[in-house]
Amino acid sequence: MLKIENLHAEIDGKEILKGLDLEVKPGEIHAIMGPNGAGKSTLGYVLGGRPEYEVTQGSVTFQPNPVHAELVDAPSFSSGEGKSSPSTGSGRTEEEWVDLLTLEPHERAAVGMFLGFQYPVEIPGISNVQFLREALNSQRRARGEEPLSGSDFLKRARAQADALGMDQDMLKRPVNVGFSGGEKKRNEMVQMGIIDPRFAILDETDSGLDIDALKTVGEGINRIMRKPDKGVLLITHYQRLLEYVEPDAVHVLAAGRIVRSGGPELAVELEREGYQAAAA
Amino acid sequence: MTQALDLPTKRQEEWRWSDMAALEAAAQSPMGDMPDADAWFIHGLDGPRLVFVDGEYQAKRSDPGPIRVEALPADTEHPLGRRAGGTGWMLRVGEGGAETCIQIVHLGSGGANHVPARIELAADATASLVETYVGTGWANRLTRIDLGRGARLMRSVRLLQSGGFVSLRDEATIGEAASLVSIVLGAGDMGSRIDGDLRLTGEGAFAEMGGALLTRDSQSQEAAVAVHHAQPEGSSRQIWRAVAADTSTASLAARVEVARDAQRTDGEQSLRGLLLKRTATVNLKPELEIFADDVKCAHGATVGELDKRALFYLESRGVPPARAQAMLTRAFVADALARIGEEAVREAFAADANRWLESAL
Repeated sequence: MLKIENLHAEIDGKEILKGLDLEVKPGEIHAIMGPNGAGKSTLGYVLGGRPEYEVTQGSVTFQPNPVHAELVDAPSFSSGEGKSSPSTGSGRTEEEWVDLLTLEPHERAAVGMFLGFQYPVEIPGISNVQFLREALNSQRRARGEEPLSGSDFLKRARAQADALGMDQDMLKRPVNVGFSGGEKKRNEMVQMGIIDPRFAILDETDSGLDIDALKTVGEGINRIMRKPDKGVLLITHYQRLLEYVEPDAVHVLAAGRIVRSGGPELAVELEREGYQAAAA
Repeated sequence: MTQALDLPTKRQEEWRWSDMAALEAAAQSPMGDMPDADAWFIHGLDGPRLVFVDGEYQAKRSDPGPIRVEALPADTEHPLGRRAGGTGWMLRVGEGGAETCIQIVHLGSGGANHVPARIELAADATASLVETYVGTGWANRLTRIDLGRGARLMRSVRLLQSGGFVSLRDEATIGEAASLVSIVLGAGDMGSRIDGDLRLTGEGAFAEMGGALLTRDSQSQEAAVAVHHAQPEGSSRQIWRAVAADTSTASLAARVEVARDAQRTDGEQSLRGLLLKRTATVNLKPELEIFADDVKCAHGATVGELDKRALFYLESRGVPPARAQAMLTRAFVADALARIGEEAVREAFAADANRWLESAL
């Protein structure tokens, strides 16, 4: 559902990605690991469409969101409807691919891309609820769906906050303002649950989390994204999140390219032997 | 051209950002069509209502309640305010009384109009009022405010003229433990000059004057407010936000003076400007003059653009760029308008700001 071919990207004239190839099929979770400066975050930003990054070569194609109305299953309010069946009631067919690089960031979101930030941005003066309702309904409008009413939205937001152990009051607070590092990451996952994307790129979602939060966030990723018609690219330094979210494939990113790929055992090997030895 | 009206010139420090040519043009504009007054009253506020058309009181369209319409002197040295003599309005509230939700709509069709006003609140009296300026022409106002011990006044002013110029001169004395909150929103297409001179003459007095000036095209709006702390234990706030688009100019000058006797004064001054385009201008001039030694005066002045990281964050969640800009800009002005006491008024001001943002972005 996501195909990256020979991707080259630069920032301020400095090439960071140097011919990256990667394919994620529906239902798969891939982990990208690698040393500092390898280009992991750049990959996330390039896929999200951050303007400062320029793609100089290569392609990224993506199978968009088939429009689906059912909510993500959140344990606290689910009544058993809308389980993880792939949805079909859309204007799109499953086979359709789009050239992701031609889309603006908000258009990428509307076709089902979600970028979980390594450093979520603080936005004073805009509450989480305002922000997410605007985001969700903008996406829905772009897909020709009805916007969600205020009460339906709140129900959905509260269920996701509960499921991720985030205090309900934090939904009313300005986006990420005064949140600890761990709370910000948790909030990213709450946002992901509310938006219910088709594909998530999670950039070091595990950093800043204590053991308990790591477990909650890991379970959240499984609950929201572990579905036959979804995919995840998990960018991480460490193997510990992968104990909760078991990847279907692990890739080592070094100097702007994937230098090695393998199964979950590769993450364990990396942890044990370090990137240099494993990538050699 | 400014000679004809004997207006201040840019050579005078206090007027160096002023657009007196726009004022002059507004004063000489021909009278034309009149907007509908009723559309500009805020719904959900049940209180006295007054309508002025080109500076003339409209008895038939008004329900003035306790407000009297009478001749008032323009007893000020202020170069614009001193022109505002003649028939005006006066609100006087006796000890412990309350007059709230007063609305005054000023309609202009062109030319110049001048209206003086007086607000006198006796000890422990309370009042709240909203003034709305619509239409065009030069609307010039002098408002004198006297607050007795423990009196409280909440005043909100919105400038929504489609053209022309609005000049406001407020002069206030604030007695012991009295409180004045005055919030201005400039969200029309007129030029403006908001002038304030607030004197804290009693111990423990509180004065706040602030708001948001939103400018676009080649428009110019400015506020120049001085707060004088004469007695101990007083506090004041000046929270202003300027948002400038296109080739417009928004200017804020805020001054705090703390006299030798005014110990334990607590002043806060926050002037922030946001440039929506690099061709726009925001001028900020924070000034402090402190003669007392036990004083806390926080002040900040910054001008910048919208945070690119925040824009990308909103966009990556699906918010289209124009909406993302509008959301961040709205958030930027929000704290300047948040002090308005009545919810219906606060919401009306927020709606005015939103309308501006939606058309300017």
